[in-house]
Amino acid sequence: MKILVAVKEVAALDEDFELRDDGRDVDEDFLLYDLNEWDDFSLEEAMRIKEESDTDVEVVVVSIGPDRIEDSLRKCLAKGADRAIRVWDDSMEGSDSITIGHVLAAVAKKESPNMIFAGVQSSDEANASTGISLASKLGWPHAAVVAGLKYAANDSKALISRELESGLSQEVEIVCPSVLTIQLGINTPRYASLRGIKQAAKIDIEELSPSDLGLSDQDVGLNSAKSNIRRMYVPVKGRAEIIEGTPAEKAAKLIDIIKNFKGE
Amino acid sequence: MNEITEPTRILFEGFQLQTIYLFYAFGYAAIAVFIYGCYVQIRKYRRGQPDPSWNNFVTRFGSMVVTMLTHRTIKRRDSAAGKAHALIFFGFILLFIGTATITLEYDIIEPLFGVTFWKGSFYLWFSLILDVAGLAFIAGLLYMMYRRKWMHLPKLDYKRVDREPGDPDYDRSEYRREDWAFLWTLIIISVTGFVLEATRLVWLSETASVWDVRMWSPVGAFLAMIMKGIGFTPEAAGVFRTGLWWFHGMLALAFIALIPYTKVKHIFTASASLMFRDEMAGRRLPMVPEDQVEAGYKKIDDLTWKSLLHLDACTKCGRCQDACPANAVGAPLSPRDVILSLREFANKALTKKELPEEAELDIHGKDVGQVFMETLWSCRTCLACVEICPVAVEHVPIIVQMRRQLVEQGDMDPILQKTLGTIHKSGNSFGESKRKRAKWAQDLPFEIKDARKEPVDVLWFVGDYASFDPRNQVVTRSFAKLLNQAGVNFGLLFEAEMNSGNDVRRVGEEGLYEFLATSNIGTLQSCDFKSIVTTDPHSFNTIRNEYPDFGGEFEIQHYTTLVKELFEQGKLKLNKQNNKRVTFHDPCHLGRYNKGYDAPREVIKLLGYDLVEMDRNRDNSFCCGAGGGRIWIPDPVGIEKPSANRMREAGAIEGLEVFIVSCPKDLTMFEDALKTSGFEGQFVVRELIELINDCVEYDDSIIETQETAEHVAV
Repeated sequence: MKILVAVKEVAALDEDFELRDDGRDVDEDFLLYDLNEWDDFSLEEAMRIKEESDTDVEVVVVSIGPDRIEDSLRKCLAKGADRAIRVWDDSMEGSDSITIGHVLAAVAKKESPNMIFAGVQSSDEANASTGISLASKLGWPHAAVVAGLKYAANDSKALISRELESGLSQEVEIVCPSVLTIQLGINTPRYASLRGIKQAAKIDIEELSPSDLGLSDQDVGLNSAKSNIRRMYVPVKGRAEIIEGTPAEKAAKLIDIIKNFKGE
Repeated sequence: MNEITEPTRILFEGFQLQTIYLFYAFGYAAIAVFIYGCYVQIRKYRRGQPDPSWNNFVTRFGSMVVTMLTHRTIKRRDSAAGKAHALIFFGFILLFIGTATITLEYDIIEPLFGVTFWKGSFYLWFSLILDVAGLAFIAGLLYMMYRRKWMHLPKLDYKRVDREPGDPDYDRSEYRREDWAFLWTLIIISVTGFVLEATRLVWLSETASVWDVRMWSPVGAFLAMIMKGIGFTPEAAGVFRTGLWWFHGMLALAFIALIPYTKVKHIFTASASLMFRDEMAGRRLPMVPEDQVEAGYKKIDDLTWKSLLHLDACTKCGRCQDACPANAVGAPLSPRDVILSLREFANKALTKKELPEEAELDIHGKDVGQVFMETLWSCRTCLACVEICPVAVEHVPIIVQMRRQLVEQGDMDPILQKTLGTIHKSGNSFGESKRKRAKWAQDLPFEIKDARKEPVDVLWFVGDYASFDPRNQVVTRSFAKLLNQAGVNFGLLFEAEMNSGNDVRRVGEEGLYEFLATSNIGTLQSCDFKSIVTTDPHSFNTIRNEYPDFGGEFEIQHYTTLVKELFEQGKLKLNKQNNKRVTFHDPCHLGRYNKGYDAPREVIKLLGYDLVEMDRNRDNSFCCGAGGGRIWIPDPVGIEKPSANRMREAGAIEGLEVFIVSCPKDLTMFEDALKTSGFEGQFVVRELIELINDCVEYDDSIIETQETAEHVAV
């Protein structure tokens, strides 16, 4: 029994950031990296199944990205994942979320897990499409925004509850293997102590390139991207002003402003 | 001839040889039971982990003897109990020496060399001294009985705050029974000893060498007089004596046999605990050995032998519980209960011939005998318990070792978990960008040097709260102006400074602490400076006491001593004095942790203030509740916070105008508590730096940018 958990190292903005010279992203100096918040929950869900199971459950985390993402994979190993896989070569730079989904599908074919978890979305890009494109490439059933899961190792079906708008929930039965994108709050993620992360440094992270997965240059990176980022910018914010003074002064000031807006 | 008339006591007088043999048989049996008990205890300690405290044996032994002879630790904050214990202690010691002297003559010197010395005037003085010792012994015991029966001291109530009534280990009544059994046994042994003495006098009242010197054993003589008065004949006394002799002797032997099995063993364990006392306990927490897989105490045999020994030293006096801020506000923690729980656990699990299975050694959990995680997380690592413990039990290191295991398991408040993640990511507990660390310095009228780029005399380690908390930034800027005015050549680490790790370590996140400490040490070592100063007692403690274990040996001062020196050297001058009525709160990490009690008081007096002490001051200062990472864990609603408790104490000082603190976390905690505890408007909470700032003479350029707390919206 194996559960594959797809994770991502996300970027968070530092205070007073600057954009890159090409204007298509934030300058990397101003980014702080960490494991995507949703992935804490999907990994925890996999760990829960592993720990509650009488049979052996292997939890494998996979991520796509350059060397630096090893920190996030180590954090997953520290939390108890059995193995970690990192897929990368430079040709993958510029891959869009659909391509990432397809690369993950290639990893899934190689690993043949019984279940795949991913986060609902990543906190930096927020496409919410990676998990779903992975499912579609595999032709597996999928469910998004899973807020509750009843599933034990080797079950043929999983009972899930999905979070809908306006506080509604939906109970869904899904055939396994399937791909589930996990919502925040489904469980309480465990803490990865720094000692644990340090000790996880002894575990090798398996490294794969697209060609190891049978993918060519045309399948990844900008070559396969059907969307690309043109520019990144900070939109001009609306103005707000606090009017000070006595009620009468405030009223007079307000009338001025309204007149001004009307162009009088 | 001389030998007959010279006063002495003939041992086993009138006994048949067989009965003497019988008595010796009982004696040897008692000793055998005693030795076996000691063996089991020592085997228990040896099942603990190694600890290097066997070093400096002579110094350690000497300081133990001094502590015991002066009763220094037992007299503290409870002098009546200390004196009563001294009566029992010295009474017991003298009675023991007396018995040992007789044994020395009767069983060793006389059979070997045929020499006797227990006679004549030596014997008479001996009798007198032992009578007095016996009286002292009884007096001490009677006071202890009175204390238990009539004084209703909360600290002698063994009911647990971490258990509910009805739980099997809730009221610990067996300890109460043991206390009484102990006191009664000793009283009976000593009283029967005196009666026995009197009985002998009556029995031998015809023998001049006995009867004529009876006043050398005044208690015996007094009792003999009464016995004669109520009609005891020498013959009756002789019969009575035989029965009483055996009763007294058997009880005494039973007492000896039971020493290692009962609370009586504290005469050994408490002494040993004092001898192995670590002066740095809690101030410098133990490192996790490189090759150790799991951090901290998970199983009972993860404790070091020294920790196991400390557990047995506890005499349940309850002073730790009285001093504990968590206990004072009703949190489910009594340091004593943690120690006793672990002791009971160790006695159950580690005294058997074979060690039980691993699962039965787990000290964490909700079962009978286990320690709750809520209990461990209640601790603020203020060291009040370690400070006052008369027998050198080191509660805080044990609690932190247990927390290390909780951290490893992730058993902690989610908010704390988040904060630790934040500290790892950003290097500070505020989750602010590193770049903003020295933002407070931006609008100062002078530049502060970057110690990473140029040599300075004094490197100022600012700390998280002083750097990022808006209210504390006001104080931080004031201190910068003071240093600048005094002409101190100082600099900062700017964004390279990280959280010092003091509280992270006390939470139990040792890995994160190692990361922070080594990062800071690396940065500090790359800079050229003479000494470090900080306004933060927490950073002060860990840099001073713990960084050396990681290779960072730096000279460091808390600002209070530096400012005092600057005044003494005339580098800072006062332009006014203030006579307001103030009180001073000793920060745990400056006071108890590092004995920095005097410098802040001297500065306060220098400024002219009328300093009135709170009841709990100096080594008994009451923690604001922020220590041990508790500043990152919300206090439960509905119960009083330690800081509010402290405000009530300060509020009781008539005419108090300023509550002075000298720690950034104290400023935060007490300004909050002042608002909620109803004393707002009555007095204010201010940092000592602000008061100094009010009174120091500045050059003109700086006066213009004077900034005080009042100008800042808090």
